[in-house]
Amino acid sequence: MKYHYSSAILVMAGALLTLNAVAQDDTPEKVPTRNDSTSALSAFNPAVSAIVDMYYYNENSKEGLSHMKEEMPGFAGHSHGEDEHDHGEKENGFNLNHVELTLSAEVDNYFKALANVAISEDGAEIEEAWAETTGLPWGFQAKAGKLFSNFGYINAQHSHMWDFSDQPLIYELSLGSHGLNDKGVQLSWLAPTPVYLLFGAEVFQGDNEMMYVQKENDDLPKNDGPRLGVGWVKLAPLQIDNHELLLGLFGASGSHQEVHEEGGATNSFDGINWFAGADAVYKFDSGKAYDQGDATVQAEYFYRNKELDQENGDEELTGAQDGYYIQGTYGILPRWRGGLRWEQVGLTNQEEEEGIKKEFSDSWRATAMVDLRPSEFSQVRFQVSNGDYDLGDKGVENVWEVYVQLTFSIGAHDAHSF
Amino acid sequence: MSKKIKFIILALAVSATSFAGKLNVVTTTSDLASITEIVAGDLAKVSSICSGNQDPHHLQARPRYVMMARNADLWIRTGMDLEIGWEMPVIDGSRNRKIRPGNPGHLDVSTQIHKLDIPDASMLSRAMGDVHSQGNPHYLIDPENAKHAAQDIAERLAQLDPKNADTYRNNAGAFIDRIDKRMEEWKEQMEPLKGKSIVTYHRSWLYFCERFGLTIAIELEPKPGIPPSPTHLTRVIETVQADEIKLILQEPWYSTKAADRVAEKTGARVVTAPTYTGSDPDADNYIALIDLIVKRLTE
Repeated sequence: MKYHYSSAILVMAGALLTLNAVAQDDTPEKVPTRNDSTSALSAFNPAVSAIVDMYYYNENSKEGLSHMKEEMPGFAGHSHGEDEHDHGEKENGFNLNHVELTLSAEVDNYFKALANVAISEDGAEIEEAWAETTGLPWGFQAKAGKLFSNFGYINAQHSHMWDFSDQPLIYELSLGSHGLNDKGVQLSWLAPTPVYLLFGAEVFQGDNEMMYVQKENDDLPKNDGPRLGVGWVKLAPLQIDNHELLLGLFGASGSHQEVHEEGGATNSFDGINWFAGADAVYKFDSGKAYDQGDATVQAEYFYRNKELDQENGDEELTGAQDGYYIQGTYGILPRWRGGLRWEQVGLTNQEEEEGIKKEFSDSWRATAMVDLRPSEFSQVRFQVSNGDYDLGDKGVENVWEVYVQLTFSIGAHDAHSF
Repeated sequence: MSKKIKFIILALAVSATSFAGKLNVVTTTSDLASITEIVAGDLAKVSSICSGNQDPHHLQARPRYVMMARNADLWIRTGMDLEIGWEMPVIDGSRNRKIRPGNPGHLDVSTQIHKLDIPDASMLSRAMGDVHSQGNPHYLIDPENAKHAAQDIAERLAQLDPKNADTYRNNAGAFIDRIDKRMEEWKEQMEPLKGKSIVTYHRSWLYFCERFGLTIAIELEPKPGIPPSPTHLTRVIETVQADEIKLILQEPWYSTKAADRVAEKTGARVVTAPTYTGSDPDADNYIALIDLIVKRLTE
């Protein structure tokens, strides 16, 4: 760190923010009241909210962690377009992740709709813009627009809902900083079984910055959308008062293209990328106030496979990688949570190009966090990570990461799904 | 298709539509479930999302609740934003169009009651803590409001199931008569406390105290939803000493640590009483709940 005092100032600032919430000297003003039953809020206005997400970040790698992630063999960013801007990139120091504006309302008797725009310093991006049916019979529901795929557990969550400041490595390395977020349709069916059993099928355009890329290249075919299909199933087998367990299986398959430039030659590949995996979430509700004693354990495993054919030759390009994370949080004190996360990527990590098969090794990261939620609308989080990243020929580099994250929500009270 | 598979499919279909012929009512809180059971008698299967021991502000839209809502004919809520953090994800997830707000299968019981603590719109700010813009939602703890709820529920059940309309209305009428009769006894029992000041934890007791003539001098929470801070507890202790307060009343899900500290310094008595049916074996229905609160306060 260049300025030695800056870490001390940061810790002090974080402590003050925390203290502000913990030891606030509240003046016990009485809530001014008036006694009529008309509500000041009109039900016809859409619920509007803005979430501000920012953090102080520091990591100690030699060349920058986001650059390293693009060099990890097996996960290396062949698929990154040169002109593509990576929104997941963090700078050492202060970062304004984004401001998320959300509008939502019932459209009419048939649909509800939501629009969510994430505004960063580089511009605005539509994260979600969809309509969902509210009146389909027999347990069906359809959703269309730009949406987060509901496969697995963490993919459908906005970043401010994560229990840690960053997403698990396997998600970031496979699907990029936004996860699987694309234009398309989703059909889901709640089966009329005595236990919770939900099936989902999704069709997307197939525009993902990492796993589902279409290149501009004369040798490559122009594949029409939709180019990506996703399927998932979720099961909640327990019907016990304070315990909930949700299990899931998922799979997806779609079109992918890569262009490799090596030694003056340009090779173009077109084919299929698919992934499959499983997720599990367990939550315990202690019944105590301010989330004290509540516990959550969640884990996801993700396996991906690439089968591409060379379009300007007869070669094949194949690869397979996997990864998982397991994390838990616990309400250590009223409004305070602690969490631990362990993750590995590349337990399976191989690539075969031009008949040469290469095996790469794995990387891991361990993370600890403590956060305070002074109210439903604000959160301060402290997070530390340490991990070994395999960089192939360059060896293994150990990196520390630190976050102090602030999340504020103004506007409508959020209602979160499980 | 083999006979066995056919049997399984049939069993699934039966379990999904079980209690067919009976109305399936799901309430957000257990006090509403108890009142609905009294009004509907054997004509409905009633279940509550929130058990008596859970704070209805802080639930998660669990798959279990989605399963409960899936086959409901009627969804009854307290309203006034009490369930705002989890109600719509449950209803959306259930894919049950009958119980969406605005349909006959969705009943908000707060419409008829006399609301308290409605913040002045021009003064409303989140800096006040977890204040509800439509007023304090803990109104069912006043038996007079339970009468309004019973009436609303009977009318809605009559609309959904017209052939039993008279039964619902008669049951509600009998419940109201019973409340009226018990009200005299409760008031008599509470007479020694009338006009006295007490301390409560959250503002869950406001309607009860209004009804029985108690004054809430101060809450243990500095602001709604904010846990007691040391400075605030000092202020509580000063208030208790100045007003010679003898009682600290709190809900079962809060730790009694703060109340015990105040009690230790002042000699006031800490009373933990349920605010919802089912949180105590002795409060298994609405009238027993009020009985128990009165008993705990006066013993």
